[in-house]
Amino acid sequence: MSLLIAQGVSKSFGGLKAVQGFALELPERGLYGLIGPNGAGKTTVFNLLTGVYRPDEGTVKLAGRELTRLRPNRIAGEGLARTFQNIRLFGELSVIDNLKVACHLRCPHGMPAAVLRLAGHRAQERALAERCGRLLEMFGLASRAHEQARNLPYGDQRRLEIARAIATGPKVLLLDEPAAGMNPQEKKELRTLIRSVRDTFGLAVLLIEHDMGVVMDLCERITVLDYGKVIAHGPPEQVQKDPKVIEAYLGAPAA
Amino acid sequence: MNGRAWKNMASSDANLLSLITASRPGAAPTLLRSALPVVVIVALAVMAQVVLKGLLGGYYADLAITIGVNIVLAVSLTIVNGFTGQFSMGHAGFLAVGGYVSGAVTYYFSLTQWGSAAAAGGRLSGMPLSTEGLAWLGAGDVLFPVALLIGGLVSALLGLAVGLPSLRLRGDYLAIVTLGFGEIIRVVIQQSGPALKTPEAAEQAGVLGMATGLGGALGFGGLPKYTSLFWVVLFAGLTMLVAYRIKTSTSGRAMLSVREDEIAAEAMGVNTTRTKVWAFVIAAFFAGIAGGLYAHKLGVALGPVDAGFQRSFDIIIMVVLGGLGSISGAALAAVVVTMLPEYLRAVADYRMIIFALALILMMILRPKGLLGVREVWDADLWRGLFRRGKSAKGGGK
Ligand SMILES: Nc1ncnc2c1ncn2[C@@H]1O[C@H](COP(=O)(O)OP(=O)(O)O)[C@@H](O)[C@H]1O
Ligand SMILES: [Mg+2]
Repeated sequence: MSLLIAQGVSKSFGGLKAVQGFALELPERGLYGLIGPNGAGKTTVFNLLTGVYRPDEGTVKLAGRELTRLRPNRIAGEGLARTFQNIRLFGELSVIDNLKVACHLRCPHGMPAAVLRLAGHRAQERALAERCGRLLEMFGLASRAHEQARNLPYGDQRRLEIARAIATGPKVLLLDEPAAGMNPQEKKELRTLIRSVRDTFGLAVLLIEHDMGVVMDLCERITVLDYGKVIAHGPPEQVQKDPKVIEAYLGAPAA
Repeated sequence: MNGRAWKNMASSDANLLSLITASRPGAAPTLLRSALPVVVIVALAVMAQVVLKGLLGGYYADLAITIGVNIVLAVSLTIVNGFTGQFSMGHAGFLAVGGYVSGAVTYYFSLTQWGSAAAAGGRLSGMPLSTEGLAWLGAGDVLFPVALLIGGLVSALLGLAVGLPSLRLRGDYLAIVTLGFGEIIRVVIQQSGPALKTPEAAEQAGVLGMATGLGGALGFGGLPKYTSLFWVVLFAGLTMLVAYRIKTSTSGRAMLSVREDEIAAEAMGVNTTRTKVWAFVIAAFFAGIAGGLYAHKLGVALGPVDAGFQRSFDIIIMVVLGGLGSISGAALAAVVVTMLPEYLRAVADYRMIIFALALILMMILRPKGLLGVREVWDADLWRGLFRRGKSAKGGGK
C-alpha cells in the first residue's frame, strides 16, 4: 500500500476552485513531482496535505492513518514535513535553534523540567545539540550554526529549510520550489542533495518545481496540475509528450 | 560532502533522534546546578536587605524596590510580548488582581487571626529603620509569600480564562481583549465596598464580605507593609531565572518560533495555541506576584488606577525599549524607565509624551528594541554592535 494517499481532495476560495479532486499515491521512498503553470494550485495542494487549509472534500492518509481533520502540528507529528515556497525560517533564531524547534515533537521533557533544570532536561538538550549539529554538518551549515537564520545567503536558507523539515523526523517530505532563485551550480548541488536525502533517510519526497531539468532528472513520476485539476500523471517521458501538458504550458493553440 | 559520509551520518540520525525521545538523565548529579542559582539569588536578596538597604538610605532603597517590582513586571510581559510576539495590553490588570488578592489575604488574615492588620515580619521583611531586637523572620514572613503565591495563582487562572479564547485565533485579538480585561478589573475594583477596619466587623461580614471589602474607588489602604529589598530582589531574581530557563528550553524556543512565523512553527509540530496560552498564563502569574509586592510596599495606596491602561503602557514601554524577547534588556529598561522621571522633572511631567516619542523613535531606528531577542551577555550582540556599518550592508536583503 502507498505511504501517502490523497483522494478527491478539493478546495475553493470563494468562487475560485483552487484544487479539484486531487489524487495522489506516493509509495515509500518514492520521489514524485508536482508541476503546473503558476496559479495551478500546487502550493494549495501542499497546504491541504499539511492541514494549513481544510479540504472541502476528500481524504488524506499517511501510512494508513487519516490526516484530513488534524491540525498542522499533529500532521507534522504523523510524519509529514514540508518546506515553503516563500522561505519561512525563524529568522531571528540561530541556525541550530531552527532545527531544535523542529525536534519539538520528539522532546519528552517540557516546561517543568526546564524551569527546575532537571536531569532529563539536560539530557534532552545534549541530545538535541548533538543531533542538530550533525544535521547541520550534513547540510554543510555547521560553520553557521550560531548565526541568525535571516543572515544566511539565499541558497543556504533554502537548504536550512530542508534540514529543518528533516529534523522533524518525517516519513514524507514535501518540497515547494526548492530550486527557485538558485544559480545553475546550486541547482546541481540541490539535485544531489534531494536524492541523497531520499536515499539515506529513506523518505518519500513530493517535489514542486518549475525547473524542468530538475524535475525530469529527479522524479520517477509526475503529476501535472492545471486550473486546480490533475491533467496528467505518469513517468517524465510520458508526461513530457502529453498534448494536454504541452497545451497547458504553451497556452491553447491560437483560439 | 561525499556520499558514504552522508550515508553514515544519516543512518545514525535515527539513533540520535531516539536519544532525544528517550532523553535519559546521565549519572552526574544535577541538583547542585539546578539549585545553585536559586541559592545565589537568596544570598543576594539577604545581602540587599542587610547591607544595601543601609548604604542606599530610605529614599534610594524605596526607589530600588520600585525598580525591582517593575523588573518583575517587564520580564513577565516579555514572556508574552517578547517571546511569543502576542501583544498584551492589559498587563496591569494582572498586577491589580495579584495585588488585591494577596492584599486581601494578608490584611484580613492578620486582622481576624492576629487582631491587627499591622505587619508581623522580621528583619528580612518590611523596611524597618532599626532592626534591633528583631528576629530574621516573623510569622508574617510566612503569610506574605503564601499570599503572593495565591495572588499569582488567581492571576494565572484569570490569564487562562482570558488567554484561551483569544489566543486560539491568529491576529490581534489579544491586544483588544487584554485592553478590555484591564478596564473590567479596574471597574470591578471600583465597585468594591470599603475595607473593614476592625476584627469584629470582618468576622461579622464573613468571607464574602471580606472578599468584596477592597476599598472601592478610594483604594485598599492599611495593608501590612511587608515588601522589602529582600523580597523584591528574591522575586525579581527568580522571575528572571525562570524566564531565562524557559527561553533556553524546548518550550521557549517554541514560543520564539511562534513569534517568528506561526505557520512555519505549526508545520514543524509546535502546538501554537498551547504555547501561546502557557506563555500568557506564566506572565500573568508573575505579574500577580509583582502586584502583591507592589501592594505591600511602604507608601503605596493600592487603587483601581493600578489596573488601568496607563500602568500597562509603562510596562509595554519597558519591554519594547529593552528588546522584544530580551530578558536582560527588559530588566535594564525597567531600571531606566523607573529612574528617569525621578531625575528629570520634565520626564515626570510629560512622561506619556516622552515615552511615546521614544517608542516611535525606537520603531524607526531599532524596531526590535535595543537588544532585540538577545541578552547582554550574548557575544554576538557585541560583535553586532561593533560591526554595525558592515552588517547593515550585508543584512540588507
Ligand atoms: N488563501 C487563499 N485565498 C484565496 N485564494 C487563494 C488562496 N491561496 C491560493 N489561492 C488561489 O488559488 C490558486 C492556486 O494558488 P497556488 O496553489 O499558490 O498556485 P501555485 O502554487 O500552483 O502557483 C491561485 O489562483 C491563488 O490565487
Ligand atoms: Mg506555489
